[in-house]
Amino acid sequence: MYTKEHEWAKEEGGVVRIGITDYAAKTLNDVVYVTSPKVNDRVEQAKTMGTVESIKAVSEVYSPVSGTVTRVNSELDSHPELVNKSPYGEGWLVEVRASNLATERKGLLDAKAYVALLSTLLKN
Amino acid sequence: MLRTTQLYGYHTKHAKLTEFAGYEMPLWYTTTTDEHMAVRNKSGIFDVSHMGRFVVKGCRAGPFLEDLVPTSVQSQPPGKAFYTLLLNDGGGIIDDLIIEKLADDRYMVVVNAANAKTDMEHMVALVPQGFEVNDLTSDSAMVAVQGPKASDSLQPLAELDLAQLKRFRCAETKVLGEEAIVSRTGYTGEDGFEVIVYGASNEHPEGAIRVWERLAATSTPCGLAARDSLRLEAGLPLHGSDIDQSTNPYRADLSWVVSAGKTGFVGSKAVAEAATQHPQSIRRGLILDVGIPRHGFEIEGATGSVGTVTSGGFSPIIKKGIALCLVAYDNSGFGTRVSVNVRDAPQGATITKPPFYDERLYGWKRQKDN
Repeated sequence: MYTKEHEWAKEEGGVVRIGITDYAAKTLNDVVYVTSPKVNDRVEQAKTMGTVESIKAVSEVYSPVSGTVTRVNSELDSHPELVNKSPYGEGWLVEVRASNLATERKGLLDAKAYVALLSTLLKN
Repeated sequence: MLRTTQLYGYHTKHAKLTEFAGYEMPLWYTTTTDEHMAVRNKSGIFDVSHMGRFVVKGCRAGPFLEDLVPTSVQSQPPGKAFYTLLLNDGGGIIDDLIIEKLADDRYMVVVNAANAKTDMEHMVALVPQGFEVNDLTSDSAMVAVQGPKASDSLQPLAELDLAQLKRFRCAETKVLGEEAIVSRTGYTGEDGFEVIVYGASNEHPEGAIRVWERLAATSTPCGLAARDSLRLEAGLPLHGSDIDQSTNPYRADLSWVVSAGKTGFVGSKAVAEAATQHPQSIRRGLILDVGIPRHGFEIEGATGSVGTVTSGGFSPIIKKGIALCLVAYDNSGFGTRVSVNVRDAPQGATITKPPFYDERLYGWKRQKDN
């Protein structure tokens, strides 16, 4: 699942792992700093939950789902470049225990819809 | 419609492009960090053809420039390149620039792209009758070669022995057979050169392209993002962000450009008055403990708001958030602790004197052979 703001979300047993897409990482060019919520913080769908920063720019990260943070990728403190190297793998940001996934899922894009969004962006 | 430089063909093939000051320019070729580090450790090349280039010549060129800027012009030896400012009547900075004194009666004036039009209007309004300032910007290309290995990269192309060209000197020579002006100047804090290649034109850019491609064999092409992160790390101000028409040379911490005892230049009365007291606020460097400061972030001291971040970013060398800022004079001592509001979260920070890197290891003053 994806957001229009270029986050991805992967659910497993009610816990959703969140990151930014390869497109978002490439647009930032090189991520040098990441701020994330803390474990037990509450996040809300479509609300800012952190930032991903390059040397030149800041990009806000919008949570794809509402819930409570269960894990934060602390590896990014010392290796923020993982967001560029492996945006869908080692560069994940947080894991959230989703509180309203059944409803909120409707507000997210599937892979096909996200690819369609990217192709319109790349055309412009 | 955006303007392009003679090297546009290369950039469209290799770079992510961006609009800057009315030009379509390279933002980065690979990554900002890699390009930044290439300049600190080896050498990088930048297309800076968008910068304004004006030729001022004739027997009245020296006196004209003398009345224009706060730095002594006619006492400089030919072959000198120097940093100075264009001021308004109130002493505010219209632009910062480099003047290359090619001869007593011939000067090359290099200005910021974003201000080129304003600068030209300012100069033309003051120009004596029958005297011309020629805009060479679109009939030439300009390439900066920067870094500890810049000389090794440029020397094979240049007729001039670069070892004879000391820092802040300039000379006319040939580069790959093209007429060129080479100055030992730059905007990165590193040793390096800025090369104006003229004779080429936008219709016939082949000469400039050959120079660029030869340099690209030994230097890393760098975009505007690395140009900005390098100048910030070196503590060099960006006009329009760190300094502007509301900033006088004292507030800008650039009072060294005002030659001792010089009077009669545009803004001299206001500058003389400003010299009699401390500025209310002054430009300083800032290092954050955590987080990255950005333009416009507020700075708080013990007494409340004491200043603003004027440009900020991340230093790949010290791996911390760094900034240039304007802070109240009373809070501007080096080592003063302040806090910066990073999106509503206050972060501790220290007022410092740039550059932000260790000058024994980086920058043009570095100890050689490391």
